[in-house]
Amino acid sequence: MATPSKTPPGADPKQLERTGTVREIGSQAVWSLSSCKPGFGVDQLRDDNLETYWQSDGSQPHLVNIQFRRKTTVKMLCIYADYKSDESYTPSKISVRVGNNFHNLQEVRVRTYTGPTSHIYPPKNSPIRTFMIQVAVLANHQNGRDTHMRQIKIYTPVEESSIGKFPRCTTVDFMMYRTIR
Amino acid sequence: MTVLQEPVQAAVWQALNHYAYMDAVFLAERLYAEVGSEEALYLLATCYFRSGKAYKAYRLLKTHTCSTPQCRYLLAKCCVDLSKLAEGEQVLTGGVLNKQKSQDDIITEFGDSASFTLSLLGHIYCKTDRVAKGSECFQKSLNLNPFLWSPFQSLCHLGEKLDPDQVFRLSSLHIPVAPPPPISPAQNPSHRLDTALMETPQDTLELNRLNLESSNGKLTSDSTVSYIDSSLISPDPCSLLANTVSMGSTGSLLGKPNKPKSGRSLLGGPAALSPLTPSFGILALDPSPGDPGYLQNYSGSLDAQQTAPSKKSVSRIGPSKSVFGQSGNGREVLPIPFSQSQGSAPHSSTSPQVLSPTLVAPPNIQPRRSTRLFTSASSTAKENSKKLKMKFPTKIPNRKTKCKAAKTANSNLNESLDILKLDSSMNDSKGLSTPGYQSITLQRAATDMVLYMLRELGRGYQALCCYNCQEAISILSSVPAHHYNTGWVLTHIGRAYFELAEYTQAERVFSEVRRIEAYRVEGMEIYSTTLWHLQKDVALSALSKDLTDMDRLCPQAWCVAGNCFSLQQEHDIAIKFFQRAIQVDPGFAYAYTLLGHEFALTEELDRALACFRNAIRVNNRHYNAWYGLGMIYYKQEKFSLAEIHFKKALSINPQSSVMLCHIGVVQHALKKSDSALETLNRAIGIDPKNPLCKFHRASILFANDKYKAALQELEELKQIVPKESLVYFLIGKVYKKLGQTHLALMNFSWAMDLDPKGANNQIKEAIDKRYLPEDEEPVTEDFLYDSAADVEESSMTDADDSQLHTAESDDVL
Repeated sequence: MATPSKTPPGADPKQLERTGTVREIGSQAVWSLSSCKPGFGVDQLRDDNLETYWQSDGSQPHLVNIQFRRKTTVKMLCIYADYKSDESYTPSKISVRVGNNFHNLQEVRVRTYTGPTSHIYPPKNSPIRTFMIQVAVLANHQNGRDTHMRQIKIYTPVEESSIGKFPRCTTVDFMMYRTIR
Repeated sequence: MTVLQEPVQAAVWQALNHYAYMDAVFLAERLYAEVGSEEALYLLATCYFRSGKAYKAYRLLKTHTCSTPQCRYLLAKCCVDLSKLAEGEQVLTGGVLNKQKSQDDIITEFGDSASFTLSLLGHIYCKTDRVAKGSECFQKSLNLNPFLWSPFQSLCHLGEKLDPDQVFRLSSLHIPVAPPPPISPAQNPSHRLDTALMETPQDTLELNRLNLESSNGKLTSDSTVSYIDSSLISPDPCSLLANTVSMGSTGSLLGKPNKPKSGRSLLGGPAALSPLTPSFGILALDPSPGDPGYLQNYSGSLDAQQTAPSKKSVSRIGPSKSVFGQSGNGREVLPIPFSQSQGSAPHSSTSPQVLSPTLVAPPNIQPRRSTRLFTSASSTAKENSKKLKMKFPTKIPNRKTKCKAAKTANSNLNESLDILKLDSSMNDSKGLSTPGYQSITLQRAATDMVLYMLRELGRGYQALCCYNCQEAISILSSVPAHHYNTGWVLTHIGRAYFELAEYTQAERVFSEVRRIEAYRVEGMEIYSTTLWHLQKDVALSALSKDLTDMDRLCPQAWCVAGNCFSLQQEHDIAIKFFQRAIQVDPGFAYAYTLLGHEFALTEELDRALACFRNAIRVNNRHYNAWYGLGMIYYKQEKFSLAEIHFKKALSINPQSSVMLCHIGVVQHALKKSDSALETLNRAIGIDPKNPLCKFHRASILFANDKYKAALQELEELKQIVPKESLVYFLIGKVYKKLGQTHLALMNFSWAMDLDPKGANNQIKEAIDKRYLPEDEEPVTEDFLYDSAADVEESSMTDADDSQLHTAESDDVL
């Protein structure tokens, strides 16, 4: 329902959720930023609207800290930035670190930003269980100082374990009997 | 002052009757200011309440003393509507602190409206957790007035096992000590005045009209009033029967209890067709010869065949026989009804029970008045039946010929004709039927019909509430067609299919409901869940849009909307809508249950638990909520707790194979594999079409190392559900255990083919773990890392597949 008005094709924030394989769990976390310009903070980063963005206001590296209440399985991180509109504000090198707390972070991924949507998977594609994730913008395009980031989403794999430890059923016939609703 | 009041009161009632609430309120306010009596107070409060402003009525009645039962009843009703249950109870019974009146006191005090009062009191008791007292009140209310459906419904919801046959029948309480006709005039005025205030506005108007119309005004009014009075439903059947018995050959008819008769048969309807198709409508009301207005709608009877409670039919025949006062003229009536029945579709033109009473002129007038009585639209149930009755003015002379004609058309009529002939001969010999008597018999017949209908529906509803779904379906399907094709019946049949987990059938029935009664919201939440199970997202979203557009204030619409988004995997929005449903109606248990399921899907298990518990608080017999609790505990791996809750749910709904399946799985998790297998066998016995039971049975057998049996089970399952990847996955695992690696690989690859995306990690892991001894390298997981597109998963699968194929090709199949 909160689809932004002018979503570029292929960038619908809810698209992945509809496949039913992942669930967005950003709402279960505490988000904080290393710096931001007033009016361009966490809310704009998490509002499902690709028109609004976070603008940092400090020195590099710019950080987005995501802290969960409990150790959470993270399957994938999804970052949306737009080179066409942001140009020098667009991040070019992103590093993802995980750990238990601020002092315990370990880098697991360094990515070069390519294309509007970046899907970042943990190594070996197996979901990572962690308390905290830190997304660090190490460098921007054209050596810009500050960065714009329009949306970040975190996904956890959906375990279809309504009953039994089996993967999901595929046919409607099975799913009909799976649960009493 | 009394003189001044009556015309104003009449005007107010008329305004109310025409839903002109502003006018009514204005006049009533003036009247109350002028007179200040309790009657006027009651009238004003009624105007407020009917115009939808219960709080106004409440405050008005609170600030002024109200001692009359009507005022107190209305005050209690306002209290309940405003959720002030304690106060309502206090008004009715004197409260918790004061000495409480017993229910018998209430009955004597409230007199005619005792049944409604007790029903309201029962409702209060149930809401305040005093279920025993509540059900007692409901029972008493039903005893007093068997036409009330809501106490019966509440009792069914509480899980009480009632016998609809006993409930919906006229007992001695209802039979007024009816003065045999002619009725003493002296009774009428007082009776009329007493009831005038309590009855719907129609009464005064009718009475006025009637008075104007005939010299026998008093007779009519009395019969009217006696008919209107809900607690005095019909004239004394005993007296009537006695009369009929005294009519000689009645005895012979009474002595044939097994003749399937309907009131209709008396009218020459095809007796065998529908012995007791409830036809509350027809009373022959205008027997004047030459009047062609005989409407006898046999559509119901033609369609439905039922076995009659023969006793009832007999008793009905009794009085109605007496009604056949006409000497045997030709009865041309029948063919017309048949044709009409063919033509008429609406269920309102129900199968008639034509009882034509009239003999001579004054009696003719009598029924006509009754007709007009019945014509008056009113909101009371009795008047509904009256309305139905009036549709079929008929005349006896015509009836005979019609009977004869119909006989040729339909041999089933023979019996009825015999009866008719007997009737007519009997009646000929009698020359009875004073006007009042006839109207009494009319009423009697009509009420019998209504009660028959209530009994049937009551049995069906009772069966449904006990989750005897098959029985409920058969009972409800056997009501006459014009009743079957209504929203209520079809909705409950749909619900019965839903509880049986036959979702396609349920969907078919519910879509019929939508077609017939697009305005119906009750039961739509079940329809939406059916569509959710069937994953018909288009239909579900259409339904959701339709309902939310139509009525934003009903919880069902928001439940449907929530289900729609839940199907689209947008659980946050679904949660929002279910919360809205709860906001709209905090007493709607299913909304809590659905919300709990959504929280469970978003892994917020604590909130889910709270929601399910709320649902149980609202309705203890809501087995879905018990199931939900069990499911949460299962997710949290508290298996014994899960089993307890599942068993509790099963105790409420013992025929649910899905529930048994879950219990089986939990028992297996608790290492009680034998009982698990037994439970699953039971589940399969109840519903052989449930593939998941077989699947779980196979997996338990597999876990217990009974590979052959598991394989056999899975092979059968493959036939039933050929496209399900899980089946192949499990077969693959079994073969792997059996060491037949090529078959295992084959099945794994099939499984992956069928389910390329999805949580396939398990399948891949299963393939991973398997190793083929010598040759090929273990299937490496060359998964892609951060590609910008979503292609990685499919390419991953391809890579995997190629590995698999390499492995397979190496292996000699």
